[in-house]
Amino acid sequence: MIASIRNLPPLRVKGRREYQPYEMEEEREVKSPTSWAGRWSRTILLMFALFAAWIAAPLSVQADPPQPEKAVRGPCVRDAEWMRRNHMDFLKHKREETVREGKIAPNESFLSCISCHPSKERFCDRCHAYVGVAPNCFDCHQYPK
Amino acid sequence: MTMDRRSVLGLGGAIAAGVALAPGLHLIAAPASPEAASGKGKRWAMLIDTTRCTADCTACTKACRAENNVPLFGDPLRDIHWIRKVELKDSQGRKPTMSLPVLCNHCENPPCVHVCPTEASFIRRDGIVQIDKHRCIGCRYCIIACPYKARSLVFYKTKPPKDGNPSVPIRAAGVVEKCTFCAHRIDDGKLPACVEACAKADKGAMIFGDINDPKSEISQRLQKEKTQTIRPDLGLKPHVHYQGI
Amino acid sequence: MLSEFSAIEGRSFGYWKILGTMVALVLLGAGSFLYVEHQGHAVTGMNNQIVWGLPHVFAISLLVMASGALNMGSMSTVFAVKQFEQFGRFSAFLSIALLSGGLAVLVLDLGRPDNMLLTMIHMNFRSMFTWNVFLYTGFLTLCLLYLWTMFEYKQYKKFVGTAAFGWRLVLTTGTGSIFGVIQGREVFGSAITAPTFVAVSLTSGTALSILLLVHTFRRTGRVLDDRLVFGMRNALIFFLALVAYLLVVEKFTRLYDPSSYAVEGWILTGPWAWLYWLGVWGLGVLIPMALLFNHNIGNSVNGVLMASFYVVLGTFCFVGHTLMAGQAYPFDLFPGYILSSAFQDGVSGTYVPTLSELLLGMGGVGIAGAIYLLGIRFLRMLPEKGEAPKGWELPWNP
Repeated sequence: MIASIRNLPPLRVKGRREYQPYEMEEEREVKSPTSWAGRWSRTILLMFALFAAWIAAPLSVQADPPQPEKAVRGPCVRDAEWMRRNHMDFLKHKREETVREGKIAPNESFLSCISCHPSKERFCDRCHAYVGVAPNCFDCHQYPK
Repeated sequence: MTMDRRSVLGLGGAIAAGVALAPGLHLIAAPASPEAASGKGKRWAMLIDTTRCTADCTACTKACRAENNVPLFGDPLRDIHWIRKVELKDSQGRKPTMSLPVLCNHCENPPCVHVCPTEASFIRRDGIVQIDKHRCIGCRYCIIACPYKARSLVFYKTKPPKDGNPSVPIRAAGVVEKCTFCAHRIDDGKLPACVEACAKADKGAMIFGDINDPKSEISQRLQKEKTQTIRPDLGLKPHVHYQGI
Repeated sequence: MLSEFSAIEGRSFGYWKILGTMVALVLLGAGSFLYVEHQGHAVTGMNNQIVWGLPHVFAISLLVMASGALNMGSMSTVFAVKQFEQFGRFSAFLSIALLSGGLAVLVLDLGRPDNMLLTMIHMNFRSMFTWNVFLYTGFLTLCLLYLWTMFEYKQYKKFVGTAAFGWRLVLTTGTGSIFGVIQGREVFGSAITAPTFVAVSLTSGTALSILLLVHTFRRTGRVLDDRLVFGMRNALIFFLALVAYLLVVEKFTRLYDPSSYAVEGWILTGPWAWLYWLGVWGLGVLIPMALLFNHNIGNSVNGVLMASFYVVLGTFCFVGHTLMAGQAYPFDLFPGYILSSAFQDGVSGTYVPTLSELLLGMGGVGIAGAIYLLGIRFLRMLPEKGEAPKGWELPWNP
């Protein structure tokens, strides 16, 4: 289909110049403005920077991982690994369900989470501060002390 | 394989468009099963007997404020009222002065729900008109649309009150809010705070119940006694009935 | 006969001064938006009775004028008045500029603008706001396409121009319907509100086009045939008559109905009556009509400019009256009773705008102005000479 569009004759509008294809006049050697030494220094610097980033990233994570406070008692409605990845979507889905349909599964409500995770500062904020996100849930929802 | 400039631009544009659109698409969740929804088959309504309402009683308004952490800012033009006492004086002085509470009527054809651009105002399965404050953009079209002046915009930023109700969230500035028929209490099988307070104050002017249930007190009273709603001419079918006006 | 289109030089100190003013207005508007968003809407003059204030007056007036600005282009493309074909690009571009300004102010006054994207994901198709989102973006696209056809593919100009004209009628009806469908508000909840908005867009767009066209041509030293301005004047008189007709019919029908005696009495003699009589009728209809029908004033370009200025002021007053008086009228919850409560039942709404609201509204004007100024500087929007055919006589003069 792309080939057939390209093969259409050009639109003829008064006053518009015809498109002139570029024609090569002679063979020319491509010459770079940067010198041989400059090009090699640039390559080595770039390789070093990438290598440093590759090494540094996992090192910085291992040095200071977030430690949220352990739950008062188990088990949670889902396991910890699943929660770590999906609690945002889980909470959002439950929120939509609770607001639009009413309380469906009371044991999965937010207020029941705090029965095992009683402190926002020692649990939620630890990972959120580390990752640098600020969910505005608690602007309105009161986290009981 | 060489491509000419137009093909590259076209392909690049298509990829860019796909990348831009992809985060916005999300799978439509399967709707929650009707049995799971709370209040299945119920239709909540309220009956207010104004002959039992006295001018000096503000039990309902105080209880609503306490239960739902509805703040007072000391700014009478911008204070939030979910329920208010209105005094009625006959313009020709031939009928007695009355006092009665006015709140969101939780209409069956709610104009606020019709005009909300994001469906933040919605009507729940059991007839309660709710505001999803997570979705409200604060455009105030619903306030323009409501003929009962039931809604308020949150003009000020608020903090959790010291001696408030910790199980009910407070509000962000810029959203609209109104009476929720204490949906959080109804879902737990309790009565709205105003109805309970009215009963506690020995007035018993407010009855709340399920009008789909023919045996409920409100259904029987609506059947037997003469009641009216505010502005029935608008065709909104409100669910707050008044008696004794 | 069409002279060449060219961009203005845009290097004079006067140009930089005006552009600088527009940019300053935009920055002040942005600052005011940040201030209100941070502090909450309590810092504005709005309250729980008057929830839409001065920013909305500016926004809706700009949007009404945006749809009206397409008049000149439509006159040539749809109604085949060939003398105005040279202003088609100016007309479509002005529409785009005003639309951008109006929409910006509307979005920036939301209580939660950070939730704005939710309007794209969750749409309520019964809401006039949702319809308006589609109508405005569609109109913007059509105006851009219309401009494109005027620059390049002139064979499609009539089709796109007619589509844009039809779309703008639906759009202005949609804008008026924001108010017209609200049955709970007696002041503006009626079927005639939308057609009145269409008529006001006709007058305000024509007036603003006259003002901008004449001033732009004067300040860039380009010649503009007076007969073209007088042709627009005749159109303006006709549109003003249309507005007057709709206003009179509305009042007559309402005053015939006893159930409207209270509302109409309040509108015509109540706390907001001054805005109706002085603003809507005085500034918007009667003074312009008197000026344009006057033999001396109506036959001078400066007189037409003065009348156009009053029409634009009158448009702001009309939108302001619809909004303010419409919201201020207390709800008649229990007919026959006088109401009083802690929530201002039975009391007419009061509203005093604050500086932050004025700055936000003027920010929208700044956006529109800046887009217009940059457009005529970098694009070939205006004809070198605003010429009219030699023997062309206007059918009527005051």
